[in-house]
Amino acid sequence: MPTAPPPRRTAAGVRLARARTALTRPTAVLGACTLLILTVLVVAPLVGLVNTTLMEGGRDAWGDVFASPMSENLLWRPMGNSILVGVATAAGSTVIGGFLAWVVVMTRIPGRWLLGLLATIPFALPSFALALAWESVFRNGLIGGSTGILVNLGVAVPDWLAWGPVPVSATLTAHYFSLSFMLIAAALASVNGDLMEAAELTGASTLRVARDIALPVVAPAMVSGALLAFAEGVSNFVTPALLGLPVRFHTLSTRLYGAISTGDVSRGYVLSIVLIVVAAMIMYASTRLTGGRRNFATITGKGGRRRSVDLGPWARPVAALAWLLVACTTVVPGAVLVLSSLTRRTNDFTSGFTLHYWIGGSDPAFAQGRPGILNNPQILQATGNTVLLGVCVALGAGVLGLLVSYAITRSTGSRWLPGTLGVVSFVPFLIPGIALGAAFIAQFGAPIGPIPSLYGTFAILVLAGIAATIPFAVRSGTSALSQVSRDVEESAVMAGAGLFRRIGAVIAPLTARGLFTGGVLVFVQMVRDLSLVVLLATPAMPVLAVLTYQYSSENFTQLANAVTVVIAVISVGATVLARRLEGAAQPWNQNS
Amino acid sequence: MRLSGMLSASAALPLALALVACGGGTPQEPAADTPAEPHELDSATHEELVELAQEEGTVTVYSFTSRIASIEAEFEAAYPGIDLVGHDISSSEQITRLRSESQAGAPSADVAYISDAPVVITELVAGGVLQNYVPPRVAETVPQEYREPLLANRLSTKILMYNEEAHPDGSPVENLWQLTEEEWNGRVVMVDPAVRGDYLDLMAEIVRRSDEMAQAHQEHFGSEVSLDEGVENAGRQFIKDLYANGLVLVDDTDNVNQAVGGTGQEDPPVGITSYSDRRDNEEEGWALQASLGTVPSTGITFPAYIGMVNGAANPAAARLVADFLMGDDSETGGPSFEPFYVPGDYPVRTDMAQPGDAAPLEELGAWDIVPEETAQIRDGVADFLLTL
Repeated sequence: MPTAPPPRRTAAGVRLARARTALTRPTAVLGACTLLILTVLVVAPLVGLVNTTLMEGGRDAWGDVFASPMSENLLWRPMGNSILVGVATAAGSTVIGGFLAWVVVMTRIPGRWLLGLLATIPFALPSFALALAWESVFRNGLIGGSTGILVNLGVAVPDWLAWGPVPVSATLTAHYFSLSFMLIAAALASVNGDLMEAAELTGASTLRVARDIALPVVAPAMVSGALLAFAEGVSNFVTPALLGLPVRFHTLSTRLYGAISTGDVSRGYVLSIVLIVVAAMIMYASTRLTGGRRNFATITGKGGRRRSVDLGPWARPVAALAWLLVACTTVVPGAVLVLSSLTRRTNDFTSGFTLHYWIGGSDPAFAQGRPGILNNPQILQATGNTVLLGVCVALGAGVLGLLVSYAITRSTGSRWLPGTLGVVSFVPFLIPGIALGAAFIAQFGAPIGPIPSLYGTFAILVLAGIAATIPFAVRSGTSALSQVSRDVEESAVMAGAGLFRRIGAVIAPLTARGLFTGGVLVFVQMVRDLSLVVLLATPAMPVLAVLTYQYSSENFTQLANAVTVVIAVISVGATVLARRLEGAAQPWNQNS
Repeated sequence: MRLSGMLSASAALPLALALVACGGGTPQEPAADTPAEPHELDSATHEELVELAQEEGTVTVYSFTSRIASIEAEFEAAYPGIDLVGHDISSSEQITRLRSESQAGAPSADVAYISDAPVVITELVAGGVLQNYVPPRVAETVPQEYREPLLANRLSTKILMYNEEAHPDGSPVENLWQLTEEEWNGRVVMVDPAVRGDYLDLMAEIVRRSDEMAQAHQEHFGSEVSLDEGVENAGRQFIKDLYANGLVLVDDTDNVNQAVGGTGQEDPPVGITSYSDRRDNEEEGWALQASLGTVPSTGITFPAYIGMVNGAANPAAARLVADFLMGDDSETGGPSFEPFYVPGDYPVRTDMAQPGDAAPLEELGAWDIVPEETAQIRDGVADFLLTL
């Protein structure tokens, strides 16, 4: 550290000295550095987005959206619908995800390992698989064509159950409760058994232990999960398009994608800015609702034995409910997905089945001669690329996310730094992938100083991937970190450990479960997400999501679904692997 | 984030927005707003192009159809030593991508095979992102409107189709205005034009052809069309009535095809989709058929364009690809045109025969869109749809 000249006793000198002090506080430096990185990755593309709406010819977009005869259908009603769907998804996800997390982590229900694995799968499934599963049961005669199981059995299905907000919210919940499940399960797993034992010894009932001990401890994870589910819910386009459009149920995301794909880019960007602001407001409101509740540091470095709850006579009903939930959200959509890759005719389960789309050779009778995916060398190459991309982004976002969440949870000085970090790291979620992709091309496409043009390189994909997935990493990081008692770190400081040593040797292993959860979320999101890579994917480098898209846009639905099954298998594989690694990183938890 | 910390998020948000409002960040060069100058290779002979293209050695093509994969194989067989790299990218994504690349000065494609005519012509061609190249070999055989301002190789359709199993004696719809009547209430299906450009083009064409729509109204109802307040013309009135008559909007043409074409239905709907999807009838178990003879028109035809990317690295090979995509001089266009020679699509070359198993273009009676004119009213129509 350079030696500073002795400060003079002027006001400016005092300020200078204060700034120096701040600079020597590593957390503040860390916060500033991470903010700088986020500025490049997140704020700059966002500025590009706003700039586009302000350019010549784009300015009308604001008026069109906010004050024109179109506003009601373009903005206000879709906004109401988005909020409705987002809140319903967040609430549903928290309830279902929380319940399953509790069952998996805190009870001794048989097969809970499998239950825990299955509960993570819906997030890895494509949105359309869940929508399709819903349709295959509830579809009525509104559109025409085939109908769902219920109608075929002679049960009349009203439109509100087949189309619109109810099925959209229900399928989105079934899709995104995995987020809440993973975050809450990670938090619950670190609840100190001693706390619960103490409560039980003082005569608290099982329910009270859950409500008064476990619930407050996992509150940060619940809020994080709810916010992620909300953001995913409002930004999802496929589900409202499939299940909402037939009754003209529009959300901001369907309006936004519509505007961009019909060539009205600035109007689309204005809508996405609206989406960002709305979500930021919801985020603020959610903190007001939960009040200034304190966090509970449960990882204290003392005793770590996990305890499980004895359910007594409730064991069976609870197990039945848990299995039912998992069956409806994982097994059914998963089976629909696999079966729909096997049908002879698109999504027609009565047309007979064939393995052609998996292992068949080129046959003009099928998909205009496209071979089955396992017979296609391009798929193998794309699988390799996809996994490599997922791993690189997961590592990058994981490290950055850990540093950002450390700065957020450990900042002691001014409030604005953690606050800004929190908001900025959440924003990418709400920028539509295609807009983020375009902004990245605009920003990194031309050489900047010594940095050559990154367009068409693997690097730009990784950078954009990190920007797009940083919300997952930061959310799971903060919920994990806020459980770690400062005592633990202070001990490390006493022992002379520096900031990075502390993060690497103490914080990271202690929060391994939370961090691996974040890593898996990032990986899965990257592997299955299309909207971002579709613009940035390098020509020589096919990735699986792009292949799915190509197949489905050519109406080779079975091939598209078969590739999607591969994506889902990779995602589930990553989840299983992460659990193993996590076990290795936390040897003290082996016996639990 | 600590919950208490999140409170300060509220304070930070205005800051983040202020940062944004200050601009600064990304330099956003506006795209050049003038068309590109003609290229020096435009008049080169085929032999000169082949020689130069072989030196270039590679060419990258963005295509809105995956059929580029078979073109790739054929092209590389015809021109050994030139590697064609084909990418299947939807038209709206191509537009975003080509525009962004042009702004960044880093074009990565040489050729764009692209639909979405109104946007392509008014933004990419007028803005100099794409330039036109008409291979001298085919110039004579391509009608003027498909040579200028950009070369097209075929026409696609978005037309009214019905279920021929349920209606073996021909289309149940003789006049488009029938679709606004009780008989078809809730039984007309199409992709939401607010989401898909080609459907928006159809709506725009209906408005552009308001006179014909007014006449069709007269023929069907025996009375002049009466316009609602704020509705400017018969085309818009038709769209308004169609929406009010329970028009069912879906997200994807496949959904339309299944709803309309699905066999075994007692009372199937009619819908707007692509004529060429009829070729999947057997494979998918559909009974799709074009509603021929519907007045004033059954739908639209629109061009698939071949554009040269301005400032691209392989201009000679790009011109060879354009030449190749136009087909050889045989009746069916030969192997290089084979992927596009399907019933329901129409080659633009006058010396090619139209594919069998589909009504010839004249009989189809679809409106052929005029991209520049569609572009002028398209945004207005899109806005109108948003008020319904």
